Amino acid sequence: MNVYVTDGTEACFYTAAFAAYADKDCVITSAKRFQLSVGAKVVRVETDAEKQERVLRKVRACDPRAPRDISLILRRGCDTREMTALGYLRLLVRTGAPVRARLSHPAVIEAEQEKRKVTLEAHRFTGFLRFMEGQNGVYYAPFAPDNDILELILPHFLRRLADQPFVIHDTARGLAGMYNGKECVIVQTAEKVDVPLAESEAYFCGLWKEYYRAVNIAQRPHEKQMKGYMPVRYWKFLPEKRGT
Amino acid sequence: MIDAERLKILTESAKYDVSCSSSGSARANKKGGVGNASPAGICHSFTPDGRCISLLKILLSNRCAYNCLYCPNRADADVPRACATPDEICQLTIAFYRRNYIEGLFLSSAVDGSPDATMERMLETVIRLRKVYNFNGYIHLKGIPRADRLLTSRAARYVDRMSYNVELPSEASLRLLAPQKSKESVLLPMKQLALEKRADAEDKGKRRRTFLPAGQTTQMIVGASPETDGRILRLSEAMYRKFSLKRVYYSSYVPVVRHALLPEKCTGLLREHRLYQADWLLRFYGFTAEEIAGEGENLPEDCDPKCAWALKNMHLFPVEINRAPLEMLLRVPGIGSLGAYRILQARRYAVLGFADLAKMRVVLKRAKHFITCDGKFYGSENPTTVRTMLRLEDGAAKYEQLSMFSSPEVSLSALTGQL
Repeated sequence: MNVYVTDGTEACFYTAAFAAYADKDCVITSAKRFQLSVGAKVVRVETDAEKQERVLRKVRACDPRAPRDISLILRRGCDTREMTALGYLRLLVRTGAPVRARLSHPAVIEAEQEKRKVTLEAHRFTGFLRFMEGQNGVYYAPFAPDNDILELILPHFLRRLADQPFVIHDTARGLAGMYNGKECVIVQTAEKVDVPLAESEAYFCGLWKEYYRAVNIAQRPHEKQMKGYMPVRYWKFLPEKRGT
Repeated sequence: MIDAERLKILTESAKYDVSCSSSGSARANKKGGVGNASPAGICHSFTPDGRCISLLKILLSNRCAYNCLYCPNRADADVPRACATPDEICQLTIAFYRRNYIEGLFLSSAVDGSPDATMERMLETVIRLRKVYNFNGYIHLKGIPRADRLLTSRAARYVDRMSYNVELPSEASLRLLAPQKSKESVLLPMKQLALEKRADAEDKGKRRRTFLPAGQTTQMIVGASPETDGRILRLSEAMYRKFSLKRVYYSSYVPVVRHALLPEKCTGLLREHRLYQADWLLRFYGFTAEEIAGEGENLPEDCDPKCAWALKNMHLFPVEINRAPLEMLLRVPGIGSLGAYRILQARRYAVLGFADLAKMRVVLKRAKHFITCDGKFYGSENPTTVRTMLRLEDGAAKYEQLSMFSSPEVSLSALTGQL
């Protein structure tokens, strides 16, 4: 049994899939630490533009929208994401046509579930992201999502806050999307970032907390529903929930 | 800039308006402007009562000339009063919006002075926000009954959604509890806006539809007056048909004000929940109000309206999951619009068995009694048995021994509305 170890990028996954497609019980993973089974052979995969392109061409020929599906699956924050994507890719190539609608097939069920987790979190963070005004007028928004969704939410904020320079910082992965009012780049960041805040920030944050308290109807408590829609792990960066 | 004290007063007076949706509009950002609208709507936070915060819900003023009995802001009430200027509202909206706290503004007001004067101030706020502050996010404006129709239709060109609250489901109750309002004062502007929107949609010369892109909604208080659920649903159905409303909100009565004409206790949230279920059946499942509940009937408490309908119509079931048309799939208890869609997609490629449905996350707890999968039936055929089983599965632990002195507590499901 072969274990293909990738560097976590999409290109590297497609390169690995080139060999892994016909390799019946193999594992592709990008995890830093994993359990090797007896008799397993580790293969380190280096990105190969030609192999990657051949796999991608085949995938596109089967279903032009499939590369996006696979890209979404590979953004998942769990270690089995490459295997889910490989299962989907295998079924796709074997069928030779879009498989998205075969909703009772196990590989499609799994792929759809993982995709849903990524797109749902991206949608949630269009709402749960919180900007703070910095001293230099740049708005700073830290967040720590489960999945790698920074690139998925950036276009939304670029359209919405087009006149506002901002930084969206994924603290879990050390990535930041920086926008200066004209163009946007994604950069690696240091582990700890210190941002001096504008003086008015505390005032508006206080008003927001006051609003949050006032708009609640105390006669109708339903905390379970609140936590279902707004999981506790996201509260760290929400001013209205911090410290509760 | 507005201070925390006034914000608190103006928000607490506005919070009983249920509507907080920000969907239905695709307004784009303009050059140099801030904000856009997201067609699916975005929730930005959730309060401990389980409701979402999507819009900055605020009154322009809570000094009210009217004296509606159920309202905490009525003229006779002894509550702190405050008002805000249009600029204050605009600045607050922009400051919150830039921090991604909110999706837009929900502006309402008490009738401060005359309806026309109030509506004028609200209109000024909205126009300022759009023109001076260059705001292109979502705006929901509450209409003031009896305001001039020109003001109303002018406002509709700047906002995404407008709503007039019907408040009480019959004219008699309205006369009793809200003497200054009448059925006409609420329904006429709704009708006028619906007609103008239709005319706007038919005007082919224009490329962009700017007249109330997210339509109209309304709200009714349930339990403050004696109307039955059947009556309420008929009213909703008529409004959906005549005014092309997007939503009717139901708010179960919470006693914030004590009065001899008003009930003492909260109406359980379960009633509200059942009404919403029935409302969804009207809008997305092809049901009519007549099928769901008779004119003088209330919705059953122990099972959902679709289940109740199915139990009354057992001769139509079971349906074969691999062949049934969409309309019939939608009528199976437990199968929602998403489940029905999944079944339609999947069955084009493979015959679906019971295990397949479970894997596809179609909820089968109720559905199994009403479907066959590839000819096999997994439920119980006797309607009485089904009824008993559904009830047992729903609320086995609902009942308790009462003591002489304990106050009869409302069970959790009556509070949360969930089963």
